[in-house]
Amino acid sequence: MFLALKEIKREKLRYGLIISMIVLIAYLIFVLTSLALGLAQENTQVIDSWHIKRIVLDKDSDINLSQSLITKKELSTFKLSRKDAYIGQASIVVKSKGNKKESAQFIGLDKHQFIFKNIKLLSGRKAASNREIVVDEQFKDDGYRLGEKVSFNSFSGKYQIVGFTKGAKLSVAPVVYGTLSAWKKMQSSRSDFKASAVVSQSSNFKAANSQLKSYSSGKFINQLPGYSAQNSTFTFMIAFLMIISLIVIAVFLYILTIQKIKNYAVLRAQGIPAKILVIATICQSAILVVSGLIIAALLTILTAVFIPTAVPMSFNLPILLSVAVGLIITGLIGALIPARIIVRINPISVIGE
Amino acid sequence: MSVIELRNINKIFGNKISRVHVLKNINFSAENNQFNLVLGPSGSGKSTFLTIAGGLQKPTSGQVNIEGQPIEGLSSKDRDTLRLNKIAFILQSYNLLPYLTVKEQFVLVDKVKNKGNLDSSSLDSLLKKLGIEELQEKYPGELSGGQNQRAAIARALYTDPSIILADEPTASLDSDNVKEVGSLFKSLAKEQHKSIVVVTHDLRLVDFADKIYEILDGRMKLKE
Ligand SMILES: Nc1ncnc2c1ncn2[C@@H]1O[C@H](COP(=O)(O)OP(=O)(O)OP(=O)(O)O)[C@@H](O)[C@H]1O
Ligand SMILES: [Mg+2]
Repeated sequence: MFLALKEIKREKLRYGLIISMIVLIAYLIFVLTSLALGLAQENTQVIDSWHIKRIVLDKDSDINLSQSLITKKELSTFKLSRKDAYIGQASIVVKSKGNKKESAQFIGLDKHQFIFKNIKLLSGRKAASNREIVVDEQFKDDGYRLGEKVSFNSFSGKYQIVGFTKGAKLSVAPVVYGTLSAWKKMQSSRSDFKASAVVSQSSNFKAANSQLKSYSSGKFINQLPGYSAQNSTFTFMIAFLMIISLIVIAVFLYILTIQKIKNYAVLRAQGIPAKILVIATICQSAILVVSGLIIAALLTILTAVFIPTAVPMSFNLPILLSVAVGLIITGLIGALIPARIIVRINPISVIGE
Repeated sequence: MSVIELRNINKIFGNKISRVHVLKNINFSAENNQFNLVLGPSGSGKSTFLTIAGGLQKPTSGQVNIEGQPIEGLSSKDRDTLRLNKIAFILQSYNLLPYLTVKEQFVLVDKVKNKGNLDSSSLDSLLKKLGIEELQEKYPGELSGGQNQRAAIARALYTDPSIILADEPTASLDSDNVKEVGSLFKSLAKEQHKSIVVVTHDLRLVDFADKIYEILDGRMKLKE
């Protein structure tokens, strides 16, 4: 520790530069992780809030909710319990005078079923008629008010916002909760559709019709459009940043060790154990990474405080901590190459030069 | 008393195809109040001799005794300890860590060896004698060549070794500094009973030495 700190103190510029590099990488990793998490949540939030275990879709829908339509006839053999519910999904654009257009996910519900009953309101009340809707708080943030009348794309008629709920996002769009009848009206072509899907909180809910198929909610979420592609992109980026930081630290410590190798050889000749020098290098790596992480954490906190709510970032302490631990381990691995060089220094190499 | 003794040392480098017989039947011993100078042209084997004497490499045959004990069977860790406690190396350069002040070089020694180092009053008088007591807060890069080498000598003496082995310690010094270092080695031998072995081709040191050896074609002989 003595050697590690003295060297950093003496070589402030070098170590300052490498720490700022680690700060930037760590900050990028933190922000990307939070963004990945935030986006993942906004993809699945509403489904998570339902606590469902199974979802029944049209078997030809490619596990895609918006491609799934289920007819009355197909559902005739179903007996729904208190844990099961129909949902009718449609992608819409919400418009009103004076507010910006908002892409949204319409979810039509049956008011006797659990999803409707479990909606948690921030303000207002639940829908009582087919022309009333409860919407995600994002509408409120964007200037929509209770009692406001809105229209959906080309669909006729006006809908009134009677309540706000929170944490209702699907595929990164806010949810508009309406009735199943309202949803049915949007399916203009045929009128015998009953719902897009049947969801259930019990894990052994089966599709009682050969045209339908039951999927686990995990499988369904993974098949949400763009969801797993997005997640693997982020995982890939974060992994790459980890590898970059590994290489940066390893190369930096390697070069510094190579520069000191003659001094180290003399120290070895003088009987100073290699262990001390190896520990100094590992300590330096730890100091570099930890101080870089602390500054990056402060920047991340600032970001979390000042970021607009519209940016889908979610700062999850345990996940960020494990990322930080990963970076520390990375730094220690980076110190192994220079450590190996130090152990193999031959003191004779410097004598007689 | 012979503090350091080399008996019938041979050193052969290389394999069956290319062999260099660098040291041939070297016999050498140094007393505890002697400044020994070993001269020889470049490539004659001076550094090889010194590193074998200090236990940094093993001879092909022959025996090295430090304070009467053969070092042949010592593990590399024990050799480290031996060098840390009894043998000091002073080289032409790289003796001091560039990012420690002169004072901190001694602190580093304290970190690995906490017994038997010079106490602060002995260190002060040593630094005064070397004329570097004012330079303790300076980094090696801020010292002149002569000051650097004197600091390196102080660093080497800090562990209170009985043997000082030096390889070209004066190669980068001007004549005034060579004189100072030469008389310092001499007084260390006389006053502090150190056994000093300097290998060099710097003839400016001959005036200060008690014994002068020469290595030629792998053989060592006493000059005077
Ligand atoms: N590890 C080694 N492998 C093979 N040959 C070596 C090795 N070390 C030294 N030699 C050879 O041994 C001979 C003596 O080398 P040494 O370094 O001891 O000479 P020196 O007298 O110290 O020379 P200089 O005055 O240039 O420092 C040289 O010919 C050198 O090439
Ligand atoms: Mg040499």
